Amino acid sequence: MTGAATLSPAVPKPAHVPDAAVYDFDMFADPAYVADPHKRVMDLVQNAPRVFWTPRNGGHWMLMSHAAIFNAARDIEAFSSEIVPQSQIKAMVARLPPGTPHIPQPLPINIDPPDHTKYRAPLNRVFSPKAINALKNDIRALANQLLDRVADKGRCEFMTEVAEPLPVQVFLKMLGLPLERQEEYRAIVKDHLSDPDPDPKNVMKKLLHITAIMRDTMLERRENPRDDIISLLWKTEIDGKPTTMDDMENYGVVLFIAGLDTVMNGIGHGVRHLAMDLPLQDQLRQNPQLVAEATEEILRRYTFTVPPRVVGKDMEFEGLQMKKGERAMLFLPAADLDPKEYANSESVDLKRENKVHIAFNAGPHRCLGSHLARVELQIVYEQVLARLPQFRLDPEHPPTFHCGHIIGVDSLHLTWNS
Amino acid sequence: MKLRIDKAKCVGNARCAAVSEELFPLDEDGYIAVEQIDVPAGKEGLARRGARACPERIIIIEDEGQ
Repeated sequence: MTGAATLSPAVPKPAHVPDAAVYDFDMFADPAYVADPHKRVMDLVQNAPRVFWTPRNGGHWMLMSHAAIFNAARDIEAFSSEIVPQSQIKAMVARLPPGTPHIPQPLPINIDPPDHTKYRAPLNRVFSPKAINALKNDIRALANQLLDRVADKGRCEFMTEVAEPLPVQVFLKMLGLPLERQEEYRAIVKDHLSDPDPDPKNVMKKLLHITAIMRDTMLERRENPRDDIISLLWKTEIDGKPTTMDDMENYGVVLFIAGLDTVMNGIGHGVRHLAMDLPLQDQLRQNPQLVAEATEEILRRYTFTVPPRVVGKDMEFEGLQMKKGERAMLFLPAADLDPKEYANSESVDLKRENKVHIAFNAGPHRCLGSHLARVELQIVYEQVLARLPQFRLDPEHPPTFHCGHIIGVDSLHLTWNS
Repeated sequence: MKLRIDKAKCVGNARCAAVSEELFPLDEDGYIAVEQIDVPAGKEGLARRGARACPERIIIIEDEGQ
């Protein structure tokens, strides 16, 4: 949250990390980063080492260059997604007294192949381009409905009015969760993602909270299936075995967290850019067919997720010694601004030769919701340009942000002539 | 023109199909369905763009053709 202005204490540097590879950056609370995130990312791209170790938040590696991240994301033995190793989770679960509720795990995010593949398979189809394209009309109608509510007012706080309700309502509907509880769900996700405490006990408590509020709907759909993802997951098999309540809770936490706090921030960054780039607004209003290209280029320019990894073995990587168990962040926002990969990386340029970004990460953990996210982003840009006249940032209320594994937009005040 | 696809490394970005669904067929899960593509005459530009669009860089132009 924006209030998190205090830096976490710096921990001593391990002996194998050379001085030249140390750079002090708090990915949750660095003041310049929280004030204007991608400006600070650009500063890091220009001034920080391409791979560095920061003493903040317990001490961890930061992978910055496109090449380093591309290679790391595709090498699951070197960079594991099992932040808490499966063996440790099993040992913890075995020590719990009988009758303790199932501890949900965010699968398939926090598990490596081959098990990753088994848990991901049932989800791929529901999030495939074909399945998502079928939702386009509904998403557009919802976007128009939200925009029409504010069009006459000449101003709005865009996050609350559009960026947040749109993807949240689409997702709750897809999943089959009651729309009336939208605010309650959002509050839980916000709390979950803004708390940097990596203590497994604290994480488990938060995950149990999420499954508790989904349980009724899940049990109900097992008996009375409908046309939604929860019903569909009950009917699939995981590695040849019928889905269990434990599996459902695992899927529940991952879909819940990923579905309710990602796209809204992408929308926030993109609409903020449009509000600052009036020539681009004009160009896209005159040529709406360019919005698809613009969506990709804006994703590259404002990549906003930072997936965590754990070093899987003692190794040398990019000339540095890394030890098994150390944490490493795939700092995707920097990869997509790497000048070695993209000339004049800071400019949003629809004519750019190479717009192929890794905003959805590379490798087997490629964002499952990427097709949904792209459709939502594109439709919001199309409709905001169609329904609102030229809009700008409200100079009285500059946008505010929060940082962490997601670079989020907290508020985005826009004005226009109504 | 011929394209070779390292199908096992496909992670389902579907960016090739966003360039041309006909040239780059996907399976039901949205992953590439083929390992090799014989590009029909006249579609070379589209094939090149589709190959370049792959974030995983697994679509390789094997034979530039005529």
